[in-house]
Amino acid sequence: MYRIRLDQFEGPLDLLLFFIKRDEINIYDIPISRITKEFLEYVNLIKVLDLEIAGDFILMASTLMHIKVRMLLPREIDEKGEEIDPRAELVQRLLEYKRYKEMSEELSFFESETRKLFWRGNFEHDEKEAPPEYEVLLKNVSVYDLAKVFKNILMKATKKEPVHEIKKMPVTIDEQIEYIMAKFESFNELHFLSIVTGMREKIRIVVTFIALLELVKMGRLGLRESSNFNDFVMYKLNNGTTV
Amino acid sequence: MEQLYNSVIEALIFASDEPLKPAEIIRAIHGIDGEDVEITPGDIDAAVELLNERYSLESHAFTIMRVAEGYLYSTRQQFAKYLGFLSSEKSKRRLSQAALETLAIVAYKQPITKPEVESLRGVNSDYTINTLLEKNLIAIAGRSETIGRPILYSTTEEFLRYFGLNKISDLPKPREIEEIMQDEDFLEQKRKLLMNAVEENLEKSMESSGEDAGTTE
Repeated sequence: MYRIRLDQFEGPLDLLLFFIKRDEINIYDIPISRITKEFLEYVNLIKVLDLEIAGDFILMASTLMHIKVRMLLPREIDEKGEEIDPRAELVQRLLEYKRYKEMSEELSFFESETRKLFWRGNFEHDEKEAPPEYEVLLKNVSVYDLAKVFKNILMKATKKEPVHEIKKMPVTIDEQIEYIMAKFESFNELHFLSIVTGMREKIRIVVTFIALLELVKMGRLGLRESSNFNDFVMYKLNNGTTV
Repeated sequence: MEQLYNSVIEALIFASDEPLKPAEIIRAIHGIDGEDVEITPGDIDAAVELLNERYSLESHAFTIMRVAEGYLYSTRQQFAKYLGFLSSEKSKRRLSQAALETLAIVAYKQPITKPEVESLRGVNSDYTINTLLEKNLIAIAGRSETIGRPILYSTTEEFLRYFGLNKISDLPKPREIEEIMQDEDFLEQKRKLLMNAVEENLEKSMESSGEDAGTTE
């Protein structure tokens, strides 16, 4: 089996066209069961890779399965008494898509040719205003242009400069290390809650906690569970060993 | 038309940074020299032809192009690399495959609604349509009379200018479906491209598996 880079495909129709070309399939006689199977394999791959485009592929997969089912049923008959091929509509879509795909290649050619041209330009617009006639006033201006301008004006009118305020932290980790160690002058064990109770700012509690982690890392304090599960016990260490 | 007007036309086009329509040129000449001066769009086209012949004979670096049903000065293609070296405008990215596909559909089927574009492409086209609107390559042309009155899109003058086209009918005709069917190289090029990409990927995966083996040692 070929491996395919999925971003090469602009959509499910593109992928189907690829299968048809690769396997030299007659587009008017698509082996729907085989194509459906292969298509589903790639849909599964896409689902893993890119959810955003997967939806379109899943829709096509369900179309293919629907056709597959209709192929098994007795053919419907149109008003002329001819059998309707369940694949006909899909074939039509594929061919139509192919047409525009070809035209996009033409456009791409025009694009690269025109990119080699440098237009006269680069000066400020300084055209005399046309006499104020009614028709001229509204020349090339659609109601959508007016709506767009009006929306821009409204947006500008309500837009305020965003202001960001940064407060300096009133507390440092070093300070809190000292604070904790000062508490341990007279105790060998302390509950964490007991040293943060009474702190008013949340940030101070956070920094104290970070300071505590720092002390644990340095091997000056140890931690263990407390009987109260909302708290824990800190105990003094001496070079990593219990005092 | 008097000889003098060749130079007037030259001056008017030279001073314009967007495609100058023949009607504008006539308006300027009538405004100064009176309505009775006889001048037709055909005269202007002949004058432009004459000017271009002269530029070509004298090896000038520029020429007058017919774009968006107007006239605009442009440098000749062979100087593109020098100009591109200094210009940021042209070093901008080219349009994506999705954008080109969508533009092709809008160009040939305009005015067209988004659901129609999406049904032809088989993929959601919100993002692409918005990008093209932003780039001013398509514009809202009104609303369809069908249920829900969906918005209709069509191409713009900027579209003509971007692709160097004079009018939309200058685009080549899309091929008939029967013709496409007899095509031998139906998607051949794309397949080649893909195979290259596959080979690249294979090489890459071989390389990376080689690296893995190195680290486990």
